Amino acid sequence: MVKFNGGREIQGTLKGHDQLMNLVLDDVQEMLRDDEGNTSTRSLGLIVARGTLLVLISPLDGSEEIANPFNNQEED
Amino acid sequence: MLPLGLLNAAQGHPMLVELKNGETLNGHLISCDTWMNLTLKEVVQTSPDGDKFFRLPEVYVRGNNIKYLRVPDEIIDLVKDQQQNQPSSRARGGGALRGDHGGRGDRGRGGVRGARGRGRGRG
Repeated sequence: MVKFNGGREIQGTLKGHDQLMNLVLDDVQEMLRDDEGNTSTRSLGLIVARGTLLVLISPLDGSEEIANPFNNQEED
Repeated sequence: MLPLGLLNAAQGHPMLVELKNGETLNGHLISCDTWMNLTLKEVVQTSPDGDKFFRLPEVYVRGNNIKYLRVPDEIIDLVKDQQQNQPSSRARGGGALRGDHGGRGDRGRGGVRGARGRGRGRG
């Protein structure tokens, strides 16, 4: 999973990268969220992701949405 | 006490990272570099409005997207200990981070006035 500066988010298979952290990803799906919070995806295929715009990279394996793990005092 | 010194000392400890987009990441800091790029393990990611939570086994974060970091209080003591154990005599060469800065200062010699004084260290 890759998150971009600007709020876009994609999932794909990492095929390669360089020193500038530009990424080559295959079988890419962009995750889109509309105003009501519904999510949809669109296929982008093979892409080059610009390193300067990356925010966060995380493997998809083992990641999951969970219930609030914090007590309400956490978000202060 | 330098921010990156604190961050270095916090390696292996749990911490909270808030990104510029408002997301927060709670996890154990594995490593960091001089750009404040981080890798975290066993991360709980919270969405900007705080209504969605994700468990991520491992995360890489680009330093330029970090708003702030919250580290446990005990890290501050750790840093103090480290600084007492190796007082800031640059001649001894200190850790990797110190070496880094020293090198940069050396290279800057002959540039801006004052750069030399800072780089060579008066301690």
